[in-house]
Amino acid sequence: MTCHPKGSRIRQERNMAARTRLPLLFPKNLPPLRNKKLVHTEAVVKEPAYPPIVHSLTAKSKAARKRQVEEQVKKICASTAEEKLTLLTRIQRKKFVVYPQTFARNADRWYQHFTKTAYIPGLPEKFNLGQEEIGGEESSQPAAAQTAALGIGDDVFANIRSLVTREILQEFWHTNKRKPFHYRHQELMVGPFLRNLATRLTYGLAKYNPLLPFSSLDIGPSVHFYWRRGERIIPRGHRRGRLEPTRFQIDDNPLCQIRITEQLPQFVPMEASYTAEVPEITLAPNMMPMFRKQYDNNIFTGSKLPDPACYGHTQFHLVPDRYHRDWMARRNQSDQVEVFLRANALASLFAWTGAQAMYQGFWNNEDVTRPFVSQAVISDGKFFSFFCYQLNTLALSVQVDANNPRKNLLWGTESLKLYDSIQDGEVVGLNDGVLKLLVQFLLNQP
Amino acid sequence: MPVTRVLFPLYQLGNPQMRIFRPNWFLTLVRPGREQPPDTVQFRIPMEMTKFDVKNYLEKIYSVPVGAVRTRIQFGSNKKRNHLNQKVKQPDYKVAYVQLAQGQTFTFPDIFPEKEKTPKEGSMEEMQEKFMEDEKQRQKLDPRRGGVTEWFGL
Repeated sequence: MTCHPKGSRIRQERNMAARTRLPLLFPKNLPPLRNKKLVHTEAVVKEPAYPPIVHSLTAKSKAARKRQVEEQVKKICASTAEEKLTLLTRIQRKKFVVYPQTFARNADRWYQHFTKTAYIPGLPEKFNLGQEEIGGEESSQPAAAQTAALGIGDDVFANIRSLVTREILQEFWHTNKRKPFHYRHQELMVGPFLRNLATRLTYGLAKYNPLLPFSSLDIGPSVHFYWRRGERIIPRGHRRGRLEPTRFQIDDNPLCQIRITEQLPQFVPMEASYTAEVPEITLAPNMMPMFRKQYDNNIFTGSKLPDPACYGHTQFHLVPDRYHRDWMARRNQSDQVEVFLRANALASLFAWTGAQAMYQGFWNNEDVTRPFVSQAVISDGKFFSFFCYQLNTLALSVQVDANNPRKNLLWGTESLKLYDSIQDGEVVGLNDGVLKLLVQFLLNQP
Repeated sequence: MPVTRVLFPLYQLGNPQMRIFRPNWFLTLVRPGREQPPDTVQFRIPMEMTKFDVKNYLEKIYSVPVGAVRTRIQFGSNKKRNHLNQKVKQPDYKVAYVQLAQGQTFTFPDIFPEKEKTPKEGSMEEMQEKFMEDEKQRQKLDPRRGGVTEWFGL
């Protein structure tokens, strides 16, 4: 038999007494409720006698720092779009410069992580009609049905076809061009072809797309974007041990782009991106390799804020000499050709859509309410790749991204040949599917 | 064999290409100090080698598919001083980061794995360990005293 020490038994009795204070017989009429706060009464509104107690703004404490950040966020939310841009890009610090056309290997995975984008091979359902044609050159469906689905007549498509053939022959057959300067072959031989193609197709299809007559076709524009994503602990220096956000800047120069006055409709609803997968990379961007520089933080779509054509439609990019598939094959990097195209499209389109969203007043803490959509065509003269981008979220910094299920989406094709070769003033093997995709891209309208 | 001074001929268009059949260069695979991506391998290479030399070396001699090579020279410190207060230079060396092609990955292996310290039966080590354990046990106080010393008591 165990014997308890004396103290615990008394404690036990006291506890037992506290638990059983009610009388032996449960009374029928309980005494009236003394605590009437739980009963419904009219709420008495009392004016607070003293101002709300908040943390100090200027003290050297973490709470003060938090309040400073909150005040800054409130100040930015309460200002106009132009002021927001200036406030967000005011302070210059060292940032990673993201080059859309990069030599780094597996760049598309890294860029997907930086921009929280999921890659979906193939194009959205809107363009799937064109996709079926490319797979099989001879289709069982009559040609009229296909072009009717595009929204233009058969003869118009034939016109477009002849326009493109004439363009190809003009640039690559008829014109006597001098031998191109060293390492400038793409810029001097293929650049004018793509520019003319984009311009003439836009003018040709302006009748069928009501947006195009009011659009703005920029040649050689620049697109800039600045954002913060991820954090790191500063290893050395007077700010050692503190958390610092990793800043990124994209400065892009597409060959030409089309800006429109109305926004393109979304490809998929924002909720559909919740299940998409974004690759997670725990290493610092230095390992990519990517380098840091400090200069002006720019956010620019191609024109300044008051421009009515503030939404993006299509961008055309040229593959430079260094990343042409023949040059990559010489360096045994043929598998990186597609990776390069994807990374290029990802970075360029993210920068463009992000800048468009910021022009509308959305930023990191005020996330986009509607998805921003843009398209891109990347080509090296013969091979064309088509990409579509949907920006669902701008909230990429650590604090705001913790509970953000939205992801951005990039759709893309492999590179497709537009024509096989040019012989004796004739274009051999013109691919109708690629033409149809081009036409569909340019005819995209709300 | 000491490293002899090698003078490569100046290349002009039309000359035969320089071919080194038995290079006097040796690469050292090292464990990276900072964590590297899975396709990156880190080497210490002689100062005279270039990126293209590293690529050719690995591809031709070891048939390793090389994607990209980046090099840097690590400065060896000249700060430490010896007992005569002379500066002692630690040698400089060149580091090459090689990214493998064709989706291959490489992790530096664990060269010094942790060994289990159980000695085998009937060996000297086991007897010694047992003896040491008994000695330690004898030094400990009676556990029933609950940590109280033996200076006093009955």
